[in-house]
Amino acid sequence: MVKGIFRKNTGVVAESIASIKPADLPAPPQAALQIMRACSREDFSNKELAELAATDPVLTAELLRVVNSPFFGLSREVQSINYAVNIIGQRALRNLALCIAVRDTLREQDLGGLDTTTYWEDSLRRAVSARQLGKQAGLDVDDCFTAGLLQDFGLLVMFYLYPELAADWPALRRLDPDNRFAREEELFGITHDKVVTALAKAWSLPAELMEALGTHHQCQGVPANDQADICHILHCADWLCAIFSADDKARVLAHCHRVMQEGFGFETAQADAFFAEIPQQVESAAVALGLHIKLQTDFDQILRDANLRLAEENRSYQELTWQLEKAVRERDKYAAALNAELELAREIQQSLLPRQQPASFPLSGINISAKQLSGDFYDYFLLPDGRIYFNLADVSGKGMNAALLMAKTSSLFRCLGKKIHNPAELLSLLNAEICETSIRGMFVTMTAGIYHPATETVELINAGNLPAVLLHADGNVQTIKAQAPPLGIVPDCEFPLVKLGVKDCSLYLYTDGVTEGHVASGEELGIKGFLKMLWELRQQPPAERLQSIVSRFQTTSMPLRDDITILLIESRHGRNTKVD
Amino acid sequence: MELTVHNKGDYTIIALSGEVDLNYSPQAREQILKSLGDKCNVLIDLSAVAYIDSSGVASLVEGFQAAKSSQLEFGLVGVSNAALRVLQLARLDKVFPIHATVEECLGSDA
Repeated sequence: MVKGIFRKNTGVVAESIASIKPADLPAPPQAALQIMRACSREDFSNKELAELAATDPVLTAELLRVVNSPFFGLSREVQSINYAVNIIGQRALRNLALCIAVRDTLREQDLGGLDTTTYWEDSLRRAVSARQLGKQAGLDVDDCFTAGLLQDFGLLVMFYLYPELAADWPALRRLDPDNRFAREEELFGITHDKVVTALAKAWSLPAELMEALGTHHQCQGVPANDQADICHILHCADWLCAIFSADDKARVLAHCHRVMQEGFGFETAQADAFFAEIPQQVESAAVALGLHIKLQTDFDQILRDANLRLAEENRSYQELTWQLEKAVRERDKYAAALNAELELAREIQQSLLPRQQPASFPLSGINISAKQLSGDFYDYFLLPDGRIYFNLADVSGKGMNAALLMAKTSSLFRCLGKKIHNPAELLSLLNAEICETSIRGMFVTMTAGIYHPATETVELINAGNLPAVLLHADGNVQTIKAQAPPLGIVPDCEFPLVKLGVKDCSLYLYTDGVTEGHVASGEELGIKGFLKMLWELRQQPPAERLQSIVSRFQTTSMPLRDDITILLIESRHGRNTKVD
Repeated sequence: MELTVHNKGDYTIIALSGEVDLNYSPQAREQILKSLGDKCNVLIDLSAVAYIDSSGVASLVEGFQAAKSSQLEFGLVGVSNAALRVLQLARLDKVFPIHATVEECLGSDA
């Protein structure tokens, strides 16, 4: 028995259709079943039908009442089952017996208190829609009506098997057919088409009906031969019912207009007229079948609701568009304000770099930032005794945080440097300060020192920076690698001083934006490329030479990857101004 | 950049690969600080790092400093040539504990 496998946690109650046994399914009234089966046989006889009718006078009276109801439109009243079968035919009588069997098989008390009124309203909508569509397609209208009435009967059977889920019915019926089908699978682990197929087998329903009931969720759109068959009729009937039951009426209506156009050639106005007849038809069919339903909402009201919703969505869309436009305007305003502030910050940052000196001055530098603000800097200034303090540094990272640390470090260097003339001592102090206050692991690579113009020597410290390059006039190259880690990482560390003679030489300090920058070939310049470039440009005056180096990076279409900063120390005696 | 995390003994091993640059180093930083916040010793596997910029190095520095203040261990393992070159240029190979492999580090630790 399936009922025992309800699992509350997942909501899925049935493992597969195979887990549902015929004995689990509801049994129809026996007399109705026998009439139905008898009417399905070729060798059916009036005598046999009379005998069957005699076994259940209540059913017989009900069948006659239904046959004589205005919905089925007989021209004169029929008094006996035998006469009825002659007038309406064997197949129609079978269908009526089936409808009554379906109606009487499950009652509210079998279904965990499920609201059967709304269930039958929906089923009747499908049935009358299928009947009218069947008429359009030239199919047997009674077959279509019966199939429409039965197409979701599997769902009622599912609630019979799992009455614990009856509370889910109101939300389920407000979904469109596709979403309802998916939700059924989530809730039950099975779907109504599978269950109704199992039921049709158990009740020995005709094969063509069984097939239509089992496949109506698989056939969509226009049939291949342009002829709507029962399967397509049921598919459309399901959507037409949803016009009245689903929440998203605007979307369901749009879908129904499309299927009515594609499947039956109905223009929108024709389709609307067709839909408008459904409530009246449902009421007539309910009376005929003795089903209790509530007063049906007319289609005009449905249409007004759908249009109202569309208007609301349209208004929401317009409001959303307006809000987006407003947000974009505000963003642009803030961006402009931010850019103005960044520009101001850039100007302040540029002012931290040393002012241009006469051509005879032995130090010159250049700094090009990849973005508005730079994390690189260089500086030099004269000490009272004629020596020149200098530095070149690169702050880790980019952007505002790097720029602020750059401003702090360069200011500290200039300020403290005027008092502390020992570069090692100065860098120790700077390092301690940055270690103490730096956040997010930020650090500063720095090459700094003092140039002695009188002796044409340099005292140099490389703290984590790229190797300084000393280019001799004969082309020999000496590199001065880092002897200490960058500032801001290790609080107590030594900053060894290197002494260099720079007479007739050019000493270049630079940041990684130079060696990692892209040149015209699209490749990184690299240290070899940089040395080659320095040699090629050695005869240019210092300021012009630095500009030439930078321009090599600016001729490519690629944006600068990183800030480019170079400091050149070249004694005026050592500068080769002669042009070959 | 790709980032994977696994635990071995008392150590969390964070493996970085690809380019550890300004775009991706915040992700590395977040993981490093999270692991240290969880009181784990941290090893950063740099064997598959093709490029590391100063923001990536800053994430390692921050991890190194945070570990020190929390009295946890922090080290680098299997440092790729590309990453090692950057660390050597900045003399940071003398700052970070560097191990050839995780096993070597755990063995020496034991």
